[in-house]
This record gives sequence, C-alpha cells and structure tokens, in this order.
Amino acid sequence: MNRYSLWVMEYAYVVNQPTSLFIYGAHNQGHRKMPYGYIVIKGPDVVATIDVGYNHREYGEVLANSYGVENWQPARAVLSEIGVTPEDVTRIFITHAHFDHMGALDQYPNATFYIQERELTKWVWSMSLERRFRWLMLGIDPADIMKAVDLARQGRLVCVDGDRTDVLPGIDLHAAFDTHTWGSQYVRVRNDLSPNSQNAWVFSGDLVYAHENLRGTDPGDPQYVPVGLATGSQFSLIMTSEEMTKRAGGDYTHVIPVHEERLRDLFPYRITKAGLRITELALADGEKSRVR
Amino acid sequence: MPSAVSPMPSALVDERTVAYILESQPLFEDLRQVAAQIAGLLVLAATGSRDASPDHPMLGTAERLFTETLERFGRTQASERARLHHESLRQAAESLRHALAGARAILASPHGANFDAALVPLRDSYSHLQQATGALPGFRMVAFEQGCCAGGRAVSSSGSLATS
Repeated sequence: MNRYSLWVMEYAYVVNQPTSLFIYGAHNQGHRKMPYGYIVIKGPDVVATIDVGYNHREYGEVLANSYGVENWQPARAVLSEIGVTPEDVTRIFITHAHFDHMGALDQYPNATFYIQERELTKWVWSMSLERRFRWLMLGIDPADIMKAVDLARQGRLVCVDGDRTDVLPGIDLHAAFDTHTWGSQYVRVRNDLSPNSQNAWVFSGDLVYAHENLRGTDPGDPQYVPVGLATGSQFSLIMTSEEMTKRAGGDYTHVIPVHEERLRDLFPYRITKAGLRITELALADGEKSRVR
Repeated sequence: MPSAVSPMPSALVDERTVAYILESQPLFEDLRQVAAQIAGLLVLAATGSRDASPDHPMLGTAERLFTETLERFGRTQASERARLHHESLRQAAESLRHALAGARAILASPHGANFDAALVPLRDSYSHLQQATGALPGFRMVAFEQGCCAGGRAVSSSGSLATS
C-alpha cells in the first residue's frame, strides 16, 4: 500500500560537474552530470514538494553562461508532466536555504513552507559578520530573504525547531544541523503510514549528492564518504548518512539524492520533450504511471 | 584584467572604467550586504523571533556599514561608460536609507507593524542593484560558489570568481 506517489522532477542540469563536488576528496577524478531537481509528493488530498528550485528570470543567464547550467524549465512546465500545477502545491519542505533549492518560493501561491528555524537564524547571523566571513553567505540570495519575509507575513512560513513527526500523515521532518548547511533537514515519507515503516523513503536534500556518499566506491567494502561541500562538518554528514540509511530501512536505494543521475538505473523514468528526466519512485493506490 | 572582473571583452571597457569597477565592486557588495541584513532583520520580525528588536546588533552593523559605504561612494568617480552603473548604486543607496529607517521602526514595534515601510524601499534597492549588475561586468547579486553549480570554479582572493 502506498499513501503517496513520489516523483523526482529534474528541472535543469549541469553536464560536466567535477566529481570532487559530489565526493569529498575525489580530486582529479573527472566529471559527471549533475541534475537539479525537486521531489513531488502526491497524496489523496494533498500535493507537496521537497524544495522548489530557482528562478531563472533572476539569475538564469549567469548560471547558464558561467556554470554550464542547461535546460532550465519553469515549475509550471515541469509539474505539468505529472498533471500538477504550482497552484495545487500546498506544502513545501525546504531542505536548506541555497538558491538552487529555495529560489522559486514565489512560484507557489498556495503553499505553506517548512524550514528549520536554525537555517534561518544562522543565515541571518552570518549576515552580521564582517566581510572576511563572507564565504558563509555564499549561495544565498537577498531576494530569497525578502520572499521569506512576505511568506512570514502571510503566515505561510513555518519555522521548525528540530524533528517533527507527521507534518502530513506519514511524513516526518528530521533536522540535520551543522551538515551541508547549519540548519539542513531531510524528509522521511513512511508510505505505509506505519510508525515502524517497511516502506520508507528518505529525501536527503544535499546531505547526499551521489550514491558513493552512502556506499563509497568499493561495493565489497561500503563506507560513508561525505559530499564535497559543507558549511558544517564532515563528521555530522557521515553520522547523518547512517541515520538516514537506518530511517530508510537500511536500504540505501531508498535514500534519494536529487543530484544523483544514476537514479535512472534504479527506478522507472522517462525523458520529457524538454529533455528532462522524471523518475517515478512510488505510485499511490489508484494513481497512474507518469513515465510509462 | 584581473579575474575579479567577469568575462567581457576588455576592449569594451576603458581604463577609467576598469578602475571604477575595481573601486566600486566592494561598494556594491556592501550595499548588497546591507540589503541582506535588513531583509534578515525583517524575517526575524515577521516570524515573531524574540531577537527582533532595535537592539539587535545587526541593525547597528547595517547602519554603520551603510554610512561607511556612502562615504566611500561619495569619493568614486564614474567614467562615461560607468555613469549608468553609478546612478544605479546611488539610487540603491537612497532606497536603502529609507529601508533602514523603516526596519528600525518595525523592530521597535513588530506587532502590527507596517512592513511595507521597509520592504518597498528594500525591493527598490534590490532592483537598482540588479540594474547595476547589467550595466558593467564584475557585479553579481548572488555569490554562486556555495551552490551546487559551482564545482568548476574557485574563489579568488577578492571573493570573485576565477576558473579553476
């Protein structure tokens, strides 16, 4: 039994991203494709997403020209591939505050957003530091902060302090402090609604970029290897990897990193006319496949 | 041309303009920082944070940085090519002045406050800063190095981008 349908929706990609970004210390080990994506969770009475991508109008040209980000598509086009509109989305779980995960806050007029309070407060704190600390603010767009003010005024910004169970039935938020960012969170979907779920999925945000972060490079001798980019500590990332894997029932393939191109090797998918991948992780009872 | 200036054919930018760019880059970044600080304070106020008060140290930081930046801005000399950019920064600073005053009033009394008193000029300042990014090379609203897209880039000593 599946309460929710789950899709990974690619909205842009970088063709040649250095492997060292995905895997800590993997220098001079070539490049790989890095998809950008968000998750859609569709249940009987609700549509939710995990993250929202960024707004091309504001910085798409810079990203395209300077960083090789290709084929960005707006939420309306991406979501239409599974019969959803931005207006249908009523809950959004923001894993962390980087522009490529929360830059499109204003594209979802009916959604309430959930973010860890620590992500916001440390974000604000970092702005008060002197110029030599500016690395701590990289990746953050002042425009996103203004959007957050508007959301808060409208009562559509929920600041979560730590873990929260059943934010929707069977959906839990788990704090991962001092990891990729100060106040990252990951989302667990217990698709059978059971507290001791045998059908759990963990959506890792950028706590994991690729399967090597959970398995290492030697299948015969797995290990955790952190991502190549962290404001917090590699230690925290590794311990969170263990936690996430356990919460996914010990099955690393149920820990879903949106930046992992090789999800295609594990789950059904299709490529849209726009050239973007839709990966189908689960179908709720009665929901039709969007990839077959 | 230093790596701090983004790739635009150097032939299009005369020496006086290059000097202006190098001088005004930190001013632009500081104005952007003040805008971010004001927005951050407004987030605290809008979410009902206990920290939201006129005594919050970041308000003083923002006001000091704004004053210092204005002083330095007054000493810049724009070339003909840089005139539009210079005007955008001036207008951004003027809007920030109103936004700062509005933010101070909101923090003094967050409940029922008129957030537009700060948000409207803050958005204006952001818009002027965005215009500045299009007027000359070497100015960006977001430092993307920390984003997932930045793996192929390194941070130069100026904090701007250099290819690795």
